[in-house]
Amino acid sequence: MQNDNFPAWLKKRLIANQDLFETKEILSALKVNTVCESSLCPNLNECFSRRFATFLILGNVCTRSCGFCSVLKDSPGAVDPDEPARIVEAVKRLGLKYVVITSVTRDDLADGGAGQFVKVIEQIKKISTSVKIEVLIPDFNGEGYLADRVIGSRPDIVGHNIETVERLYPLVRPGAGYERSLALLRAVRSRSAGTVTKSGIMLGLGETDDEVIGALNDIRSTGCDIVTIGQYLRPGQYNLPVKRFVDPQKFTRYKLIGEEIGFKYVASGPFVRSSYFADVYSAAVGLDIKERSYKPKESRHDRCDIAASGSGR
Amino acid sequence: MTDVTLPPLAQGVDKANVSYWHHNVGDAIKEGEDLVELVTDKATFNLPAPISGVLKEVLVSEGDAVKVGQTLAKIG
Repeated sequence: MQNDNFPAWLKKRLIANQDLFETKEILSALKVNTVCESSLCPNLNECFSRRFATFLILGNVCTRSCGFCSVLKDSPGAVDPDEPARIVEAVKRLGLKYVVITSVTRDDLADGGAGQFVKVIEQIKKISTSVKIEVLIPDFNGEGYLADRVIGSRPDIVGHNIETVERLYPLVRPGAGYERSLALLRAVRSRSAGTVTKSGIMLGLGETDDEVIGALNDIRSTGCDIVTIGQYLRPGQYNLPVKRFVDPQKFTRYKLIGEEIGFKYVASGPFVRSSYFADVYSAAVGLDIKERSYKPKESRHDRCDIAASGSGR
Repeated sequence: MTDVTLPPLAQGVDKANVSYWHHNVGDAIKEGEDLVELVTDKATFNLPAPISGVLKEVLVSEGDAVKVGQTLAKIG
């Protein structure tokens, strides 16, 4: 087993309550993909134990080969027309009042998968008008009109992750573009003034402190409201190695810097991911999130690592 | 007697390495207290005790690779 000699602070509680097992069962029975599973997320047990999952649509095979990502790279199959209905059923069974939807990148599709985002959003809105919807969209190869289609279905939050600093793009996100991603965030902001926008970066891929601060400024310059900053963790031996483990104090420093440059909310900590406690981040910027229809069972094991890491609420 | 098992992780992550037992056989332990530290490719985890009781048996040693669902200890 490879690991990168994890530092002492990079430690989580391995939560295993009944809701974890039920969430796994529901998602498996409905054949719904989640980025939680596909990315081998270390927060999976914690999130599934609160019946929270981030849906991965358009299949689970990606057309890009990002160095940090464990999602299978190959030729994806046809878009599944039943996928939106299965997502809706999962939303119902999990009792979600806050839904996060992301996708693999589908450069093989003429619409980049925008139509499937729209279908999922529209079908969720049919079952409930109070459910809040966050989408984490791909870059659509810079085709702004495709992002417009998604925005037109009126999600509450639109996110697009920058992922890393500009210099590391050829290594970390080949096939993507730093300026292209910033332009996408800028376009979302300019075309939908009322929509909350969000982005995120990973640390530990070889970036310098100055480059991180530069990236935060670049993201903020698009008008972005929320930024997430987390530690890159290598999902497998074929992925990029971890260059450094950023300590919690430095994450706190980045949080303060992010707040100083004007983000409405900065989530920063080793285990922060763009959809980790996404409902909490969104509530922090004023989104009115209705109480969950399903009450997670109390568990004294539960702990919020964003608070523990000093990246607070 | 309650079995302490390795809970499910992300799909495709089917094992972890035992790195440290926080308690010895015979120790009284409270529900939620850290029982054993485990390492996967992605992070280090502390598995809490599922119930209060006495740690009756430890079935795997530090350094062992353990599979999801495997019984690691018994608390009674």
